[in-house]
Amino acid sequence: MSTHPMDTVFVESEEHRALRRAVGDLGRRFGPDYYLTAARTGGRTEELWREAGKLGYLGVNIPREYGGGGSGITELTIVLEELGSVGCPLLMLVVSPAICGSVITRFGTEAQRRRWLPGLADGTRLMAFGITEPDAGSNAHRLTTVARRDGDDWVLTGRKVFVSGVDAADAVLIVGRVADTGGESPQAGRGARLRPALFVVPRDAPGFEYRPIPMELTAPERQFQLFLDEVRLPADALVGDAGAGLGPLFAGLNPERIMAAAFSVGMGRYALRRAVEYARTRQVWDTPIGAHQAVAHPLAQCGIELELARLMTRKAAYLYDAGDDAGAGEAANMAKYAAAEAAVRTVDQAVHTLGGNGLSAEYGVGALLVGSRAARVAPVSREMILNYVAQHTLGLPKSY
Amino acid sequence: MVVPACRDGRAHSVREVGLFPMKIVVCVKQVPDTESEKALRPEDLTLDREAVDAVMNEMDEFAVEEALQLAERTGGEVTVLLMGPEQGADTIRKALSMGADRALHVVDDALRGSDAVATSAVLAAALREVGFDLVLLGCEASDARTSLVPAMLAERLGLPQLTFAQKVETDGTEITVERLTDYGHDVVTARLPALVSVVEKINEPRYPTFKGIMAAKKKPVRTLDLSDLELDATEVGAAGAWSAVDDFTVRPPRAAGELVKDEGEGGRQLVAFLAGRKLV
Repeated sequence: MSTHPMDTVFVESEEHRALRRAVGDLGRRFGPDYYLTAARTGGRTEELWREAGKLGYLGVNIPREYGGGGSGITELTIVLEELGSVGCPLLMLVVSPAICGSVITRFGTEAQRRRWLPGLADGTRLMAFGITEPDAGSNAHRLTTVARRDGDDWVLTGRKVFVSGVDAADAVLIVGRVADTGGESPQAGRGARLRPALFVVPRDAPGFEYRPIPMELTAPERQFQLFLDEVRLPADALVGDAGAGLGPLFAGLNPERIMAAAFSVGMGRYALRRAVEYARTRQVWDTPIGAHQAVAHPLAQCGIELELARLMTRKAAYLYDAGDDAGAGEAANMAKYAAAEAAVRTVDQAVHTLGGNGLSAEYGVGALLVGSRAARVAPVSREMILNYVAQHTLGLPKSY
Repeated sequence: MVVPACRDGRAHSVREVGLFPMKIVVCVKQVPDTESEKALRPEDLTLDREAVDAVMNEMDEFAVEEALQLAERTGGEVTVLLMGPEQGADTIRKALSMGADRALHVVDDALRGSDAVATSAVLAAALREVGFDLVLLGCEASDARTSLVPAMLAERLGLPQLTFAQKVETDGTEITVERLTDYGHDVVTARLPALVSVVEKINEPRYPTFKGIMAAKKKPVRTLDLSDLELDATEVGAAGAWSAVDDFTVRPPRAAGELVKDEGEGGRQLVAFLAGRKLV
């Protein structure tokens, strides 16, 4: 966590700059070809994940006593952004250390922390995160995945969609609901007031099934739908206690948005660099095409928008790390919105700058098109963010 | 072939075998990033350092890695020595984040424009100041590429020089290296203290860990100027340089490559081509 007043949002500390360089150097050793080959052949970027884990980059936000780096989401955004900026982002950073690591650090029991955090920190264990449902989207109050108490156990039933990386994960952190009484009601469900609760579900738990969802994304992390059919879990599968309410969930959602923003900024920087390199060297008549303002100005705009989004991402991370959850919530939403929009625009402009080459497999820029659009939809859609800002920031009436 | 190195630089040793950890000093240089376009400043024909990103000379990263491995094996400690402007602190910190224990930074405005002769004089004075059992450095810097400093430095300090090392072993008293040659390698042995310059075949430099990065700032960095080293400003920098840049031209565009057409002799021609460049 940042402590020095100058070491805040506008000025990066020496450590942060050194971390950027080190992570970028590691990423460059693997590079975009490594990433794209894995994505196109059904492979994974395990070697990069392992190496980054050994160097302590994956667990920078996990407390030191559990094997992490003892810093915050600020440092984790640096890791993700820099890997993305060299063309090999690790999407599961958003999920495993950022969401699951934050939730378990802040709301897990001591036993849960000891069991999970060291592995999440060094990357030897991976935890996915399932919230979205076919009929509820990400609206935590409408989730139909419900846990009922049976003796000391929990029995979880429901469905999830668009869960990243389940095939590689040891477990999935599932957002379900329990009866408001703390789960005592054996018939929690119809009629009973339910509140969100998070469960760690091992991938091999009986009754837990996962199926890949074919996507148009060019990414090594695949998407899954989950079927939970009376999945029996021990009492300690529940993170925190049943009365913890929305706290554990929100502890995960802010880091998710902030990291999603870092993912988009990294992708945008990568696309912009590729476009600029091309525009500087591609010569058709007398001058490189980058000398023409029709090519240069849109790229300059992308550069400005990315930098603004990056600044907002840093602010959100700073507030989160400083313990200001409410302040971080608004900033995280704005950062995620701005970064996704900047990335969509930059990737689009990069593809256009490269002309036909922008759509070729060789240049690998067209491969970013769907990924950049995905960030406009997930983890929370552009429109839901606009709803939030309209209502909470501007004070406009609630629309739904 | 074993070539005994004959010089004995024992006078500089601060260690009696087994009593103290081996003291390894790695000389590192900050250079313009090889990826970036370099330019000379028109006013004094020295490198325009502000126009380019500065990084640790790549070959020196191998020297730092080797120093760290030797220190890990023998229980030694590693000091980084850098001569260069203020911004060289970044390169020092990189070496510290990789695991070096401490650093010495020689900074003085009068050093600008120093050639290899002057650089070796300054590094020699700094090495005398800190003491050492083993000096390691890259066999050349990617900017000037003279490859002269290791030999000059060894000469000034009266040390055995074991250059172009692709493998290093030491028991704390003697040091043995495999010295890369055109025909393979020589095995060279010397008594410590000694100086070793390394080639990139020697190892694979580590990336700094996150903990290493966070710890680097807390490690001691001592800063010295010319007066601390009792050196005269007229002996170094552009003023004291034995060589001067009169003029420069932009490198001509790369010539077309050589096409080998296989008409039964393609393989031989390829081998001859590679052998002619000492690549095989």
